[in-house]
Amino acid sequence: MNLQIAFSSHSHPARAVAEIQPKLHAAKPRLVLFFASPQYDPARLSREMKSAFPDAVVFGCSTAGEIISGRMLKHSLVAMALDASIIEDASIEVLQNLKQNACGAVERAFANFGAHFKTSMKDLDFNRHVGLVLVDGLSGVEEQLMDRIGDLTELQFVGGSAGDDLAFKATHVFAEGQAYTNAAVLCVIKPGVAFEVLKTQSCKILEKSLVATQVNPARRQVLEFDHKPAVEAYAEAVGSQPSQINTQFMRHPLGLIANGEPFVRSPQRTDGSSMVFYCEVLENTPLSLLQSGDIVQDTRQDLEQKQTTFGPIGGIINFHCILRTLALQQSGQLDAYAKLFQDIPTIGFSTYGEQCLGHVNQTSVMLLFGRPHDQKPG
Amino acid sequence: MTGSIKSMINVIIDERAHGNPTLLLTTRTKLILKGFNPDRYNETTPDDPLAMEKLSAIAREMGVNLCHY
Repeated sequence: MNLQIAFSSHSHPARAVAEIQPKLHAAKPRLVLFFASPQYDPARLSREMKSAFPDAVVFGCSTAGEIISGRMLKHSLVAMALDASIIEDASIEVLQNLKQNACGAVERAFANFGAHFKTSMKDLDFNRHVGLVLVDGLSGVEEQLMDRIGDLTELQFVGGSAGDDLAFKATHVFAEGQAYTNAAVLCVIKPGVAFEVLKTQSCKILEKSLVATQVNPARRQVLEFDHKPAVEAYAEAVGSQPSQINTQFMRHPLGLIANGEPFVRSPQRTDGSSMVFYCEVLENTPLSLLQSGDIVQDTRQDLEQKQTTFGPIGGIINFHCILRTLALQQSGQLDAYAKLFQDIPTIGFSTYGEQCLGHVNQTSVMLLFGRPHDQKPG
Repeated sequence: MTGSIKSMINVIIDERAHGNPTLLLTTRTKLILKGFNPDRYNETTPDDPLAMEKLSAIAREMGVNLCHY
């Protein structure tokens, strides 16, 4: 096997790692990616994972729920091991003090990637390389991080913001035996197989739109839409009473439309007459009102369509918004969603935000790997 | 004066995409995420100095030289 997955629901980090280790070692992993419930002691878990796979690049993050082929889990550890036939090369960088200087941290990391790959990140071939990004989900700086990454490279960086089972107290990223907060982990991969990114959000674009005319970017807060108090303008748009709009948030997020595709901005809560979002809303930028749809049906359709153009999928890393997990839970569709991936080696987690060109909400961003011998990269 | 913002956007896209259709789309998306939707500007758009200053800063960060604007 070139790519293997395993999970454990043991509550003790050492036992959980001991359970998955033999299942992943057959692959002689070059890279091990793991997503873990916040129940595990972060430092201990990261140390145990690196000890178990000393010859591999090992990284991951904490979650708000874990995903593995055919199952949506809680209080578990999921991991994927990829061998040299899938990963020709990989390099990892930890970006610390993210809230203080996200841009500077990206620049330092990119200089190191440039040294590793012997080509600057600006010139690294985006057809042959891809980036993964895992971020402290409470840092609130994903926009700055992704913005700077996008400035400095044409590589696609995809990933998710770490979670903590909706406690919103502490989220962690893990790298090479250490655990970090206020940090991000970037990994640049040169796959030995074809790869593609799938972004799916199960949202229909409606005709109504709102323009944020007064914002507080640092708080991801919109004070006014269309020169009216944000709550009032949103309530009018969704046809609800201002006091009831929080019942509409999941059904009617907003979307920044780029090339016909929504980049979802999900309302989090009201704050007086203003609204706070899960990601930044830019001033004077039109946002379309969206209507969320059937996540299972849309994801199935997107996966089938992708397989038509991409070919057989050998593995998936799924960065899946916690809001989608909650919606699936409410509609009793968690199992149906998990079954979409039961025949494809998949791991993922419920995120506090997804990364794909920018920072988005209510979205699944998936990195798909082809199968060795079926396809070649680029 | 009109049309400078559209011209600046076109330079950024051309410099970053080098004619590659994938990069053309991603550069357009990056600009939209930064608040500059190429489709909202044309040759008749008034030259707003504040918007031009913001776009110049974005170009610098993206490694594109717009020194003639």
